[in-house]
Amino acid sequence: MLPRPLQVVSVVLLCAFALAPVAFMLISSVSPDVAVASGDLFPDELAFGNYVELWSTLQLANGLANSLVVSLSAAVLATAFAVGTAYCLVRFTFVGRRSFLRSLLGLQTIPSALLLLPLFVVFFSVDSYLGIQLVGTRTGMVITYLTFALPFATWVMVTYLRTIPLSLEEAGLIDGLTRFGVLWRIVVPLAFPGMVVATIFSFLLGWNDVLFASILSSPQTRTAAMQLSAFAQSQEGGAIPLYGQLMGASVVCAVPVVVLYLVFQRYLVGGLTSGGVKG
Amino acid sequence: MTDVTDVTAAGAHVKAPAGGPPRAPARGGRPGHISGRPLWLMAPGAALLLLVVVVPLALAVWIGLVDLDQFTLRDWLGAPFIGFANYLEALQTGGLLHSIWVSTAFSVLTTVVIAPIGILAALTVHDPFRGRAIVRSVYLIPYVIPSFVTAVVWRLILQPDGALNSMLGVVGVEGGNWLIGPMAFWSLVLVDTWAAWAFVYLMTLAGLQTIPQDVYEAAAVDGTNWWQKLRFVVLPQLRGPLTLALLLSTLHHFNNFTLPFVLFGSPAPTEVNVLPLNIYTTSFQTFRFGLGAAMSILALVVLVIPAILYLRAVRLESGTGEER
Repeated sequence: MLPRPLQVVSVVLLCAFALAPVAFMLISSVSPDVAVASGDLFPDELAFGNYVELWSTLQLANGLANSLVVSLSAAVLATAFAVGTAYCLVRFTFVGRRSFLRSLLGLQTIPSALLLLPLFVVFFSVDSYLGIQLVGTRTGMVITYLTFALPFATWVMVTYLRTIPLSLEEAGLIDGLTRFGVLWRIVVPLAFPGMVVATIFSFLLGWNDVLFASILSSPQTRTAAMQLSAFAQSQEGGAIPLYGQLMGASVVCAVPVVVLYLVFQRYLVGGLTSGGVKG
Repeated sequence: MTDVTDVTAAGAHVKAPAGGPPRAPARGGRPGHISGRPLWLMAPGAALLLLVVVVPLALAVWIGLVDLDQFTLRDWLGAPFIGFANYLEALQTGGLLHSIWVSTAFSVLTTVVIAPIGILAALTVHDPFRGRAIVRSVYLIPYVIPSFVTAVVWRLILQPDGALNSMLGVVGVEGGNWLIGPMAFWSLVLVDTWAAWAFVYLMTLAGLQTIPQDVYEAAAVDGTNWWQKLRFVVLPQLRGPLTLALLLSTLHHFNNFTLPFVLFGSPAPTEVNVLPLNIYTTSFQTFRFGLGAAMSILALVVLVIPAILYLRAVRLESGTGEER
């Protein structure tokens, strides 16, 4: 497609651009804090101890557990609820079907604060009127994560269910299955790979969230994303900023996500054209 | 099989189609139905969508019309109705128009910058070569690293004593303040470019794979050079997916909260006080919920044109970006 020299130069430059900050993160994560703070890219000694110390400095284990529980619960719930909706949107025609599909896509274009605001107000009054605490709890965060996970998972399932041939369902009906039986015994097993992808992508959206977590988490329920951002800002102006540990923690937060994406690379394009994976 | 041939061979035209009764007309991925439409199957999902998306959105519209702050929050249903006063205040004060300008400039500029990078990247890995799989994975890494990690790492690189300035020092260039003052805007563009160019790359790559091989062969027979081939054969074929990619990219950059929030903190410097950050500060740091809701809805007004263009560009029935 491109002349050979241009191709080689482009690949080298693009890889260098892509990898330079990653290399910085990896090197800094094993550098002494002082070296990172002074912009020393090649310190004389390495500090692998950063990876030991960061767990107590940031309480990162707690944050990772919160991120995992909240994002995974929202993702699994969203996918479970999405299947039935997506099935009807793909198989049947009804009034408002196209508007429904358009709204699912259109939801990606609205600012998230527009959903966070009213939910915060509702959570606050549920607390004062009913005595159920939602602000600062994992349950409250799961509910807010559903606001983006559910439309997204529904759209992913719509695109996936389209690829399943109708004849298998017809066979099931002829053999005497009920409509729910068809969904449960035929569609769900066939759509299982799509459900895994929907769950993973919804999970990653939650894992990457900072907006909702910054308002709705308490010190005990802080997600890893929130901990890392808060830690980064608290280190500035301190006597010795713990930048080495900060970069170590960044690596810990990024690695599971990068691995998940690279493993599911084949499905990535499909998830992308469905939108939702916000830059 | 043998039975059928035997019967026809014998000249006995009993039944024309050998495959049983005629099939239902609606097949495949298109919507169709066999008997009945059990729409109740979508009830749980639709109800939940109503509860966590539609109701809050309606509530947000209402909040935008009342004077809701930390004092009236405890009794928010009784918050005084003030009509469009929040909208007027948002437009007259509070830097909303400035934020809209910053956000628009930022999202359009970033999209314009990442488009050529992404297209070039896709072209470099379209034809197979040794190590292509590794290069493809490398291209994806900046994009898949969580935004908050990207922002934390770049925040460190761009510190006054950070890695960028010390590298600039080596070549004898005096680095400056990248995170405050007039350079902050360009830092934001740079960091978002780094994080987002792979989006255009992936969309272009997907588009390239749909171009039939004989198009290239025809171009080769006509004796075109690579630039003519790119300009007159490949790029026109990519118009659909690229339009979609650029629209989506603009929308996402406009709504990007995490990157500027973690990169600059809140309240952000004026130069990078993008709309999502401004709304956040107004709503959750000065607790003017009504004003914040009004600002979010005004943001929607700005987004409505690219959003409509996007919805028109997407083919609802296939979810891809090909032209209708």
